Amino acid sequence: MTARLADTPVLETRNLVLRAPKPGDWPHWRDFALSPRACFIGGPYELGTAWRGFAHIVGMWAILGYGSFVFTRRGDDAPLGMTGPWYPADWPEREIGWTIWGAADEGKGLAFEAASAARDHAFGALGWTTAVSCIDPDNARSIALAERLGARRDPDAPRPHPEDLVYRHSAPVGAA
Amino acid sequence: MSGTTLHIPTLRTGRLTLRAARWSDFEAYAAFRTDAGRTRFLGGPFTSAQAFEQLGEIVGHWQLRGYGRFVVADRVTDQPLGVVGPFYPPDWPEPEIAWSLFAAGEGRGIAAEAAQASLDFAYRELGWTTAISLITDGNLRSIALAERLGCTREDDFVHPQYGRMQVWRHLPPGTPA
Repeated sequence: MTARLADTPVLETRNLVLRAPKPGDWPHWRDFALSPRACFIGGPYELGTAWRGFAHIVGMWAILGYGSFVFTRRGDDAPLGMTGPWYPADWPEREIGWTIWGAADEGKGLAFEAASAARDHAFGALGWTTAVSCIDPDNARSIALAERLGARRDPDAPRPHPEDLVYRHSAPVGAA
Repeated sequence: MSGTTLHIPTLRTGRLTLRAARWSDFEAYAAFRTDAGRTRFLGGPFTSAQAFEQLGEIVGHWQLRGYGRFVVADRVTDQPLGVVGPFYPPDWPEPEIAWSLFAAGEGRGIAAEAAQASLDFAYRELGWTTAISLITDGNLRSIALAERLGCTREDDFVHPQYGRMQVWRHLPPGTPA
């Protein structure tokens, strides 16, 4: 028996390509994870912890058959961030997550474009019927993105950390 | 069109299959990682959410390094018995052969059989010319296994987060244990 991670889906949007993570993404993730920019995902991390986290994200593709996409600009394979379906053991329900790794790539609508595609993939190809995004209440940019995606606060939803805000996504129009 | 390709080989020994971790291993793996006694030398016990991440990490290591640890399973029943194999996160002093056994794998020489197969794999397929195993002070069963495999102890390694670990160096390639 062999685990084989191949033919993972590639999503294309107007400006972006969303693909599975690969080894060359590691230095970009590392720079993000070790920086204060990672403060809303449990960081900044130590080197070893950042590497284990990245390995975990990659490995989930092989184990679960889906996972977080790295997104890049069309025609340039340099990773800008990550977005996608996320459902760890003990997580209250299925989540759509997102991160933008470099400050220079913020404020351009890239995360919105990528997360929209990831959400549509989850509701479409993966057959999800609902999804949430759990967001630190101080993460104003992420809250704004959730609202722009059309997600709505769900104050009654279970959450991994009591202080988190939970935004619930609705199925995109036309999704099964 | 694929963004990622990952191939994990399967090794076989007399009693064991060394294969890729998969989702059906999670229950056995989580039982191991949440067991305080079995993880006392490994920084545990962990929550099952952490075990989920760690199972993913085992597979992702293959993608990032081109090699990684195997789930050791009974060759006949495929029951998962432990996690053994080449391991080299960036905060490690050099590549190691790591081993940990679930309760179901204890006491039958399974760790030795799997560790030897992993070491042979690392030398033959990965081209390693040397290998270590890191062991926490007081982990007497693991130290006994290192000695049984012919390892010799070297100066300790002090990890910035996990603290002091014993360094045991394996016999070089081509040396019968």
